[in-house]
Amino acid sequence: MIRNPHETNSAQTDDFFLPDFCNVRMVFAVVVISELLAIVLTLSPLRSSGDRWNDLSIISLFVQWVGLSSAGILCLARPRLARMKETHAAAISYLLLLLTTLVITEAAFMIGAYLQLENWSSNFLMLSHWQVDLLLRNLGISAIFSAIVLRFFYIQHQWEQNVRAEAQSRLQALQSRIRPHFLFNSLNTIASLTQINADQAEAAVENLADLFRNNLADASLHISLEDELKLTQRYLEIEKLRLGERLQLRWSVDDLPIDASVPRLILQPLLENAIYHGIEPISHGGTISIDGHMEKNILHISISNPLAQQENIEQRQGNKIAQDNIRQRLAAIYGESGKLHVQEDEKNYTITLLIPYQRSNPVTTREEKVHT
Amino acid sequence: MKVLIVDDEPLARVRMQRLLQNIPDTEIVGEAKNGKEALLSSSMRNPDIVLLDIRMPEMDGLETAFHLSQMKHPPAIIFTTAFSEHALAAFAASAVDYLLKPIRREHLEEALGKAQKINRAQLQELGKQEEAKRSRSHISAYMGGNLQLIPSENIYYFQAEQKYVSVRHSDGTLLIDDSLKSLEEEYGERFLRIHRNSLVALKYVEGLEKDAEGKCQIGFRGINDRLEISRRMVATTRQRLKKMGKA
Repeated sequence: MIRNPHETNSAQTDDFFLPDFCNVRMVFAVVVISELLAIVLTLSPLRSSGDRWNDLSIISLFVQWVGLSSAGILCLARPRLARMKETHAAAISYLLLLLTTLVITEAAFMIGAYLQLENWSSNFLMLSHWQVDLLLRNLGISAIFSAIVLRFFYIQHQWEQNVRAEAQSRLQALQSRIRPHFLFNSLNTIASLTQINADQAEAAVENLADLFRNNLADASLHISLEDELKLTQRYLEIEKLRLGERLQLRWSVDDLPIDASVPRLILQPLLENAIYHGIEPISHGGTISIDGHMEKNILHISISNPLAQQENIEQRQGNKIAQDNIRQRLAAIYGESGKLHVQEDEKNYTITLLIPYQRSNPVTTREEKVHT
Repeated sequence: MKVLIVDDEPLARVRMQRLLQNIPDTEIVGEAKNGKEALLSSSMRNPDIVLLDIRMPEMDGLETAFHLSQMKHPPAIIFTTAFSEHALAAFAASAVDYLLKPIRREHLEEALGKAQKINRAQLQELGKQEEAKRSRSHISAYMGGNLQLIPSENIYYFQAEQKYVSVRHSDGTLLIDDSLKSLEEEYGERFLRIHRNSLVALKYVEGLEKDAEGKCQIGFRGINDRLEISRRMVATTRQRLKKMGKA
């Protein structure tokens, strides 16, 4: 799962293997685990005192008490523990859990003694024997159970880290790659323009710089749709210099919310494809349409290009690679709700992106911002 | 030295002009923005050297080079390309000269200096790697010194005659040197061998019919020609046409 960097907690406590027990979800988990333990403990004695429900209620009460207190203590201790070495933190957490069990057993015993004062005091010696026995039993259960739980959290944490690292590296690998074909053709265009139209050459260099700055930026940081559309325009301005009248554009994106957050350079590869397969192979060129609207909180953005008559298998393959790349990027970020549809009729080839609407964070650093 | 510039991008052509202006003994005799124009222009102006972009609409550089090499006095060819891994591999293998865009003046000068005529072996080497999966978009022939270019989609059938293969297309008939066998290999997906001496375009086939003597024939959409199907080929022809819903 990829989380938006703005959502993650401060880095220091986030790398720690113990979950945050102050969190409501974690408290609920503790309650559930405690209750399961209580049920196991109720079911396990060979001979019951007669009323298992009664046993369960008493044991639940005790185990919940221990569980929630442990959670509370770990919640309080977590910031300190997070700063220690992992092995130390684990040992101390373990001791804290045992200590909690010990203290609460003692407290339970005292409360019981207080409530049933007469019975308790009458056979004091026997009672003390029972008390020691109870303490040892509880400590034993706690020692085993705490070890299992801590180990579970540790493994869970490692697994999560692996998954995150994997997703991150996959996303990096999938990061949109501008085709070298485009780069070198653009440089050639600029080389030509420097002699005949310096202003256009300058603008082209600026546009190219913006594109590559974003191409090199961290793929997991999203940008606003407004910036993405601007980048797309920069890209198309360069292509327009190269292709001239052959490249016609039709925009209709006014219905899109420009504050939506979208993956960086998600549109450019699709437009590059549209030009490569739909404009360049045709002598007189054609029109690329970019349409967008929002429906049920999902952005629909389609890019349509004319179909070239002749295209060999290899070229089609190239097209598919770029599409699969975008598709995987969408899946890595949005799961099921990010999609890419392809539609082909006799004249046009249309790709539609479906991206769930999320508002983008207005704060972006200077470097990442697309200058207007 | 007469030079022809072929590139589909106007600014790329302008840059090439500028580079050539500074190189002595070169004369630009024309410009073309795709392979077809390049062939027509070559047959009229007879350039010594063609600077040929690879990725172009209509007819790309590699196919253009093939047609140019069929001319009576073929020009030398220097390919120009922005970036194309496949093409580069092909060039490296066949030692044909190529230049990477943006082109440096000294590289261009050097290439012009050693420009040589591309030969059949080199072209075949190129073809092996780059065109393995595809077929020519046009069939070319020189009739009385004039270049004839027939888009392959306009061809009804090829028929082998004694020395040549005749190409029946939408505007008439053309004689070419290619063998029926190599044409079958090249266009096997779209054309069907129905006789030792004929190869027909599946998309123009109307259907099977029998003549007065009971021999099987093929009829075409758009023209009245009939071609005989050899007895051995009847079954496979019927099968292939059935698959397309034509028999």
